[in-house]
Amino acid sequence: MKFSALLLSALALATSLVAQPSSTGPVPAREVVQGADQRRREYLARIDEGIDWRLAMVKPGDPVNRDVIALRLARRIDPAQCSRDVIEYMKEPGNGPFWMFPVVALAELGRDQLTPEAKAAIRDGWRKDVQWRGDTENHWAMYYTSLYLMSELYPNEPGNTWYTGKSSAENLAEAREYLIHWMDLATTVGQGEFNPTHYIGEYAIPMLYLSTWAKDPAMRQRGHMMLDWIFADLAANSLHGVLRGPNARTDDTSVIERWNALATFFNWINFGDVPPPAGYGGWGIHYFLAAANYQVPEVIYRIATDRDADYTQRDLKRTRRRWRESSTLFDPVYKTSYMRNDYAVGSFQGGYADPIQTHVWDVTWDVADPRGVHNTMFSLHPYSSGTGMQMYFSDYPEPMIHGAVDLGKPSYDSPDKVLGSSPYEQVWQDRDTVIALYDIAPGTRFERVNGFFSKDLTNVTEDKSGWIFAQGGKTYLAYRPLASYTWEPSLNWKQLPATTGYSWTRVDNGDKLLNSPHAKNGTIVQAASASEYKDFAAFQAAIRALPLTFSLAPVPTVTMTTLRGTKVTATYGQAPVVNGKPLDYAATWKLHEGPYLNAEKGGRKLTITHGHLERVLDFNTLTITDRVK
Amino acid sequence: MTKIHHLLLGALLAGLVPLSAAPQHDLYIAGGISKNYVIGSKIVTTSGLFLRTPEGELKPLGYNDASIVALAFDPRDSRVFYTGALNGVWRTFDGGASWRITTGWDETEARDVCVDPNAPDHVYAAITDGVITSHDRAQTWARLEKGLPARGKYTQTVEVDRTKAGRVFAGCEVGIFLTEDGAQNWRCVFPTKRMVSDIQQSPHDPKFWVATTQENGALLSHDGGLTWQVAKGVPTEKTIYNVAFDPTNAKRIALGSWTYGVLVSEDGGATWTARNDGLPGARAGWREGIDPGAHSVWRVGIDPDNGRLYASVTEEALYTSDDFGRTWKKAGLEGSVISRFVWITRAAK
Repeated sequence: MKFSALLLSALALATSLVAQPSSTGPVPAREVVQGADQRRREYLARIDEGIDWRLAMVKPGDPVNRDVIALRLARRIDPAQCSRDVIEYMKEPGNGPFWMFPVVALAELGRDQLTPEAKAAIRDGWRKDVQWRGDTENHWAMYYTSLYLMSELYPNEPGNTWYTGKSSAENLAEAREYLIHWMDLATTVGQGEFNPTHYIGEYAIPMLYLSTWAKDPAMRQRGHMMLDWIFADLAANSLHGVLRGPNARTDDTSVIERWNALATFFNWINFGDVPPPAGYGGWGIHYFLAAANYQVPEVIYRIATDRDADYTQRDLKRTRRRWRESSTLFDPVYKTSYMRNDYAVGSFQGGYADPIQTHVWDVTWDVADPRGVHNTMFSLHPYSSGTGMQMYFSDYPEPMIHGAVDLGKPSYDSPDKVLGSSPYEQVWQDRDTVIALYDIAPGTRFERVNGFFSKDLTNVTEDKSGWIFAQGGKTYLAYRPLASYTWEPSLNWKQLPATTGYSWTRVDNGDKLLNSPHAKNGTIVQAASASEYKDFAAFQAAIRALPLTFSLAPVPTVTMTTLRGTKVTATYGQAPVVNGKPLDYAATWKLHEGPYLNAEKGGRKLTITHGHLERVLDFNTLTITDRVK
Repeated sequence: MTKIHHLLLGALLAGLVPLSAAPQHDLYIAGGISKNYVIGSKIVTTSGLFLRTPEGELKPLGYNDASIVALAFDPRDSRVFYTGALNGVWRTFDGGASWRITTGWDETEARDVCVDPNAPDHVYAAITDGVITSHDRAQTWARLEKGLPARGKYTQTVEVDRTKAGRVFAGCEVGIFLTEDGAQNWRCVFPTKRMVSDIQQSPHDPKFWVATTQENGALLSHDGGLTWQVAKGVPTEKTIYNVAFDPTNAKRIALGSWTYGVLVSEDGGATWTARNDGLPGARAGWREGIDPGAHSVWRVGIDPDNGRLYASVTEEALYTSDDFGRTWKKAGLEGSVISRFVWITRAAK
């Protein structure tokens, strides 16, 4: 939601005017760049490409643009003009964390270039204009990083020179304390707003700035280590440059066109293994400004690009902060990602993890060129509730549904939406099997389950066994609805230019929605590589032969043996019983566990591994230790 | 600190012109024009605090912030006041010329703030995870929450009993809580299923209190808040947002509600009547299919100089009634949401 409509419109226009070599060019070859020097050259070339692109869009007479000023300062182009433009820009400053961090970039990049008058204009903006802190963790990461850096840049100044009314030292101390608190949470009980398709930028960019511009070496180190942590997580959860699995927050576009996300920009800039989204995701511009000061270490690069075996990665994350309607401030999120060369399956245990934009589980398949492809299959309960949102928002229940729709979440109150989590969904996953069960309370706004069937599926077959078979890329898929259903178009959401607020239209791109209008419900999905079977018919036969029983009353329950031979009984409201043993998430889940990322709960230490390479990020000692085993 | 735009000020706000030539109170309004605003976009409206001039115009006061939801004055000096907002609790010592965010990162989204009139250095604030207390005019804050539940202490409102120092009510998610020793100890005096949205003390009878709630309608207490009864005739299905007593008439009480609009009692809370004729009806698109027929009243207030009833209709306008809701007229502030009406006795200045 945090893109303004104007920004998106400008980006769309810009995209059509100036070629973006990587965004519209060929898909990068799936080759691992072996040499460090070459990786560095290619990385810097990607930064240059983005900066060149944006600066090439500037025409004589264009109004002053903050981002253009920053890019020129980064390139050290015409500081005198930049100074004049800064003064003009600061005549009408913006508000809040989304405004603050780009202005920090102006201040930092302009330290030795801007005139005293231009610097004073920036500084004065932080005196007279109130900045909202916002109400989410990404807001606070941007807000406090910005306040920290500005307070460090202007030390020893009294409270009446800051909008907070607090001195530089007070601002600095508060910002530092919060940032460390957030890092502590993320490295002990998991990141909130986990695996975000867009909001990764709201964390990565502040951490890049912190690691680049903080004067305190310890905070610089913290920024660098968090950036490593974020990108290691991104690498382990991406397949061929596209982020997979569940998301605390995504959006109506990225949830179905998985490539079309800011996360893809970060895969492109770091790993060079995918075309970036149009306009470098918008936020890429802010990253370019300091990107040369950071590069992912080889071990993270190889996790993203150099994999030859299937793996399961389990990660502990956490919900957004719950103010009410909950017995806990945070709930743990037990996330699973099963990654293969042809597809990925990801999930968490279900429940209402974030108020609006959560994506709980899916199977996503690999395609040669992911642009425009809806390479995903999943189901959900389209939960919409003002009272539900009270868990996370400090507001009255009645206006919240419309408020969410108004604030850039257009699908929130649509019964056919394909985005969002629900308190009435419980999910179990083992490798490439997912069982999602639904027991929707009577009176809930939408008593139905939506199954997403992509326009890019082939061979979709409704089998008399009750399974629906389909193929996505080189992946065979079997989807078993546990209650009756009908088909309807799954209309996508397209944003239209708007001068204020947001404007949307619905577009039929050929996707279909399985609408199962039953409160007690469920979905089983099985995936497999086409290479594992003689042909599609053989896969179907294997699925039909699976031992499977289920019932929906009094609560949905499934007993089955998966394609991989795991025996499971999943019952709504109970711990899944896997191979005869109840699954105890709390007892078994580590902060990170898999072949590449490992960390103990509460440990503040992440071990990143690939082959002989190892990097340990230890927040207890604020050290980064590299080792070749 | 104020960025002034004049969108609000161009029109004469006829409905705000004081009825009497020399009102005894100054009216402060906390509110904002947030329509179409999202965090990150440029603010192009004036929001925050407004002081009514004798001509009935609203003069912006302090910083531009649409998130201000609470306002409380130091009874010794009306230049000293506190706001509750998204960033926390703000304080000014000079009538709004300069400000300080008094809270830190771990106290956020202040929902209400109040000053103890019998111990004016003592300030209480309702926040999303409890109650914070200051004994030094919000220079420092402490979590004095003994007796509040570990969970369920989301607090929407705090109100001090004007008859006794340190006697404070907190409206939490799970009930009304009372302290009689300045927040050293709290106890639940009425459990609720969901949020308590407002608690107010009658200006006529200090033993008479009214609370509003999310799922218990309105609650009445005639023994200083020790016991509470559900008000008969007030619907309980949807949230009642706030209560206002008429300082000019002990029998008159008004309730504001998104769903039910304006409800009034003219017999001290014994019976209640909806008074929405003349207020905008439900608008298509805003509540279509979500809350049909709702009136989207965000806040009501009553002028102590003349008994004029005020109603903020969300993102529509401010409306006033000089016959206690029987008829209404638009009074400006188009597109606004008003969270507080506060009248300060001029003699207190």
